[in-house]
Amino acid sequence: MNLFKAELRRIARRRLTLVFGIIAAAGLLVLAAVFWFTSSKGPTEAELADAQAEADRLNEENYEYEECLDDEAYFETEEYSFIEGEPYYEDMTHDELCADMFGMWTAEDLIYTYTFDFAAESPLILIGVAIIAGLVMMMLASSLIGAEWSSGGMANLLLWHPNRMKVWGAKLGAAAAVCVAAVVVLMVLAFGLLYVIAAARGEVGDLDSGWWNENLEKFARAGVLSVGMTLLGASLAMLGRHTAISGGIIAGYLIVGDMLVRFAAMALEMAYPERLSLYTWVSAWIEGRVELFDWSDVSSEQADVMVITSSEAGLLLGGIVFLFAALATWAFKRRDVA
Amino acid sequence: MPPIIEISGLRKTYSRAFRQPHNALDGLDLEVAAGQVHGFLGPNGSGKTTTLRALLGLIRVDGGTMRIFGEEVPQRLPEVVSRIGAVVESPQFFKHFSGRLTLQLLAESAGVSKARVEEVLEQVGLRDAAKASVKGYSLGMRQRLAVAQALLKQPQLLILDEPANGLDPAGIHHMRELLQWLAHSQGVTVVVSSHLLSEVQQLCDSMTIVSRGRRIVDGNVADIIAGHGESSLSVRFPDAASLPEAAEALVSASSGLEGPKAAVSAAIDRDRLVVKGAPEAAWVTRTLADAGIYLSELRTETKNLESVFLELTGTAPVPGQTVQIGESVVVPQAPSVPVSAGEVTVQVESEGAER
Ligand SMILES: Nc1ncnc2c1ncn2[C@@H]1O[C@H](COP(=O)(O)OP(=O)(O)OP(=O)(O)O)[C@@H](O)[C@H]1O
Ligand SMILES: [Mg+2]
Repeated sequence: MNLFKAELRRIARRRLTLVFGIIAAAGLLVLAAVFWFTSSKGPTEAELADAQAEADRLNEENYEYEECLDDEAYFETEEYSFIEGEPYYEDMTHDELCADMFGMWTAEDLIYTYTFDFAAESPLILIGVAIIAGLVMMMLASSLIGAEWSSGGMANLLLWHPNRMKVWGAKLGAAAAVCVAAVVVLMVLAFGLLYVIAAARGEVGDLDSGWWNENLEKFARAGVLSVGMTLLGASLAMLGRHTAISGGIIAGYLIVGDMLVRFAAMALEMAYPERLSLYTWVSAWIEGRVELFDWSDVSSEQADVMVITSSEAGLLLGGIVFLFAALATWAFKRRDVA
Repeated sequence: MPPIIEISGLRKTYSRAFRQPHNALDGLDLEVAAGQVHGFLGPNGSGKTTTLRALLGLIRVDGGTMRIFGEEVPQRLPEVVSRIGAVVESPQFFKHFSGRLTLQLLAESAGVSKARVEEVLEQVGLRDAAKASVKGYSLGMRQRLAVAQALLKQPQLLILDEPANGLDPAGIHHMRELLQWLAHSQGVTVVVSSHLLSEVQQLCDSMTIVSRGRRIVDGNVADIIAGHGESSLSVRFPDAASLPEAAEALVSASSGLEGPKAAVSAAIDRDRLVVKGAPEAAWVTRTLADAGIYLSELRTETKNLESVFLELTGTAPVPGQTVQIGESVVVPQAPSVPVSAGEVTVQVESEGAER
């Protein structure tokens, strides 16, 4: 327990923690600012009037449209005979037909208003916040272990605590605890900020029990994913005994490795090549299910469907984390500290 | 009283790609009695650090048994570690933490009081530097921090790997006083590894000399010096040209001596003659005077650890001769060693020449 507390304090006192904390706070503020300035409750009367005037001016310049409006018999030529009997055009007045054919400008075309809808849009943003928090914590955790190795602090610590499993447990526990705290704090802050923005400059929407039921589960799964990433980062750093090795492997896989695997799947003409991508499984884990379609069977009208549920994705992702954590544990237990 | 540390038959083999495995420890034995400052001496690469690492559970060994306080280690290390303070080879710390924070984190992790941190900082002379980050510490300051870290637990056994490394003369002096005080008035058992022989001679009560992962000799420092290291005489002449003549005169005169100690050797070392095995100084003056050679200076060289050490670890191998592993002959030696010289560079024979 002492060891765990000391590890927490070690994390708290690290400069990288401070740097990441500042970056996270700045990120939240930027996010809030973006929504604050882009969202609005809709155009004002004056804005609408301005836009209408501009639309009228543009319409006047539209020579064909003007001509069409002036000529009641504009469509009674051979060229436009297809209009007759078309249900789409049946109920249109002449003016409407002109607008449809020659594109009349309206005030709505010229005025862009975006109204932030909290109930509809915040879940995705909050999940993004959780995943980014997880990525940051993954880096922090790998640096926590990696820097301890490369600075020689690990050997020192083991002189005080020869039970390596306790040391490893304390470190993993501390990293996971900090990760949970960071994810919860960031999500709560993001939730609060977005809610305030929605109330002030957008729509809050319906946050009924159905919304909470659906989204709380997703948020929790995103949080679990973040903890998994943290453990993976720490394990890789323990295996490589260096921060850069852990970071390199993860970034390398996510950017290059994932792509290579997908290319390989395509080259092999494998069905559902997306299932080899980690991203597919991550989104299945968070969304609850993902459907992959296979159109290769040309004789059939319907595509073959492969469904990945969140429990399948959880098993796979959890298995990967577990595998590396177990390897790291084994390596730490067995290998010499030189 | 049983020994505090008992090591017997310790083996550690490093496997190397495409080469024969390397026995860093080759059946090493070590005993350290309570309440002493024990020197652990050996040339570079002789396995001192490896032994201490093994003892402290940092590396696995391939054979042998180790006990500390009578407990089998590394199995029972967690039970005894709170009584052991240790520094192993050029200690490194997390660079961005201050000296004080480094110690505080360790203290907190083991439930040692914060007041103790200030105490040891004072003790090793780091009080004023405690706030600065370790990044800005000099080698000696790091060494001091490491010793502070080892003292933090108020250990009954203190294991220091080359503690004098990087310390200034004042620091070395202070360290020596501190360690001797700990051992002799606090009853702490201190193990110090070193290749600074003069240091060991001044600091330690007993010692173990190792070479190539094996113990060569152990015991009381004074006894070892008395028991080994022959007396030698340094003789100078007004004219250096008479050196070979004098050497010949002494060696030929020695054949007339009786007894087992009859072998007198005389080696020319620059402008002087080093005479070993002579019955007494008077015999030398008489013999030389008989040969018509008069000397300008005759001095008895005080024996010290260096000569013992070189004698024990490097019994003057014939150049080009291959030395088998485990024969504990490591030091390729010049024909004559200036026995009173302050420092001797001990060179480890290259690995390839072993076999
Ligand atoms: N991690 C390692 N891998 C391979 N060989 C090693 C390793 N550590 C030590 N050795 C070898 O073990 C032998 C003993 O090394 P050790 O560090 O114990 O020497 P030492 O007595 O402490 O020397 P020094 O006086 O220079 O500190 C050396 O030959 C060294 O090359
Ligand atoms: Mg060493």
